[in-house]
Amino acid sequence: MVTGQHRIEDLLREFAPQVLATLVRRYGQFDACEDAVQEALLAATLQWPGEGVPERPRSWLLAVAGRALVDAWRADSARRRRETAAALDPSGHTPPAGPTGIPDAGLARADRDDTLALLFLCCHPALSPPSQLALTLRAAGGLTTAQIAAAFLVPEATIAKRIVRAKQRIRDAGARFELPAQPQRTERLGVVLHVLYLIFNEGYTTSSGPALQRTDLIAEAIRLTRLLHRLLPAEAEASGLLALMLLTDARRAARTDTDGRIVPLADQPRDLWDTAAIAEGQAILTRTLGTGPVGPYQLQAAIAALHDEAPTAEATDWPQILALYDVLTTVDPGPVVTLSRAVALAHVHGPRAGLALLGTLDTDDRMAHSHRLEAVRAHLLEQAGDTTAARHSYLRAAKMTASLPEQRYLQLRAARLHQPAPPANPAH
Amino acid sequence: MKYMIMMFGGLGAATQNRPAEWIAGMHELLMKLDRELKESGECVASDALADPSQAKTVCFTSGAPVPTDGPFAEVKESLAGYWIVEADEERALQIAAQVVGYTEYPMEVRRIMDHSAQP
Repeated sequence: MVTGQHRIEDLLREFAPQVLATLVRRYGQFDACEDAVQEALLAATLQWPGEGVPERPRSWLLAVAGRALVDAWRADSARRRRETAAALDPSGHTPPAGPTGIPDAGLARADRDDTLALLFLCCHPALSPPSQLALTLRAAGGLTTAQIAAAFLVPEATIAKRIVRAKQRIRDAGARFELPAQPQRTERLGVVLHVLYLIFNEGYTTSSGPALQRTDLIAEAIRLTRLLHRLLPAEAEASGLLALMLLTDARRAARTDTDGRIVPLADQPRDLWDTAAIAEGQAILTRTLGTGPVGPYQLQAAIAALHDEAPTAEATDWPQILALYDVLTTVDPGPVVTLSRAVALAHVHGPRAGLALLGTLDTDDRMAHSHRLEAVRAHLLEQAGDTTAARHSYLRAAKMTASLPEQRYLQLRAARLHQPAPPANPAH
Repeated sequence: MKYMIMMFGGLGAATQNRPAEWIAGMHELLMKLDRELKESGECVASDALADPSQAKTVCFTSGAPVPTDGPFAEVKESLAGYWIVEADEERALQIAAQVVGYTEYPMEVRRIMDHSAQP
């Protein structure tokens, strides 16, 4: 009998979306089903470590969640009770009942579609991105509200309210639990990929807080993207996103030193990079490129792969990276792409060329409140040998960032360039 | 008893002309102290605020609340970060002294009021 705590958590994460999807398929009422599944997960977390994992863990979860759902209905108003009677008596297509009295799982194919439909529902366009993230992590990822709150460094009540509001909005929008048909499907898949990308980024570079990366969010983003990739192996951008995450996360151990300080890419000890993750990312990318339209995730993955492949920073194939940024600029233009392209341009054609491109962003409102433009400018000015202007830019960037590790990094870069004031001027 | 130990925006300006080793030393001291206060359980809360130059102030102007750029107080008097510690006054002052001993820039230590009536 398996009782390992990790094994149990893995099982729960795997079954959570399947059980939820089965319930929603059967009874509708996404919000009530989602609460019921959370109760079942909690019950399993409490009981399984002591009593052992049941013979058929999925049926167990389905039974407990089903009971919780019925209990919730019973406790509800008389009006709701009448609705329930109808819901509990579905004419026609009830699946065969398992030994627990609750119908057992359907076919693998139906499961696949159900899990996809669930992801599409959690990433419904009617929801704000923070709500999409929270709901995806809970309903599709099987995380508890407390775990999500800890990952986003916000109070548990905030996430709880966000999830309640999200489910309310889904109901109000009349969203249906089904796979959207084309052409909406491609568009909706884009939203799902973006939500997974945001979860990864939130974990990889926190926008605030003392810890630069939160590995639980990274792991969850990769797990869900892996699931999506398995469900939709022919979707090139889903594969591209998985490759991008693996190739980026491979550098995690080298990104900060033992004191938690940021180490820039060029200075990272490359022997700390995760070669297995790099190999997997490269393999996915090689299989994917050329099979479908080349999208932003595949391009970013290809750029990440070129960094990962270089044995030293000096050996980086910057001309190839610049060529990829050129394509990315036509496929998915934006100020952040321009910023990265300026770095590549500086490596190929010199810092002044990069600085000239950065100048085009000065009037871009989307960059007005970002410290990144100023930080990149500081690095390029330093490369160009203009230490006074570089120092000024580092200090400006340090004032603009809301990330403590980034602020400390930028302050140090500025201080390194400081020429001590002549003793005749002690007032400063 | 809870005390708030406050750091001010002026510290940033006062340290700008220090050498890199000094800045690195300050970062180390702050990180070490933060870790110690959390491990000992004395730290109730701690945060650093974004630079005061990024602050906005909502003023009542011409009969309506209007947001304007910049902090309410002067940058050097603007709150930049804090620790809230569960400690007596002596200990709170001692914690502040550890930082001020290095930065040479003032910090304020102030009692946090109780929500319950005093016995």
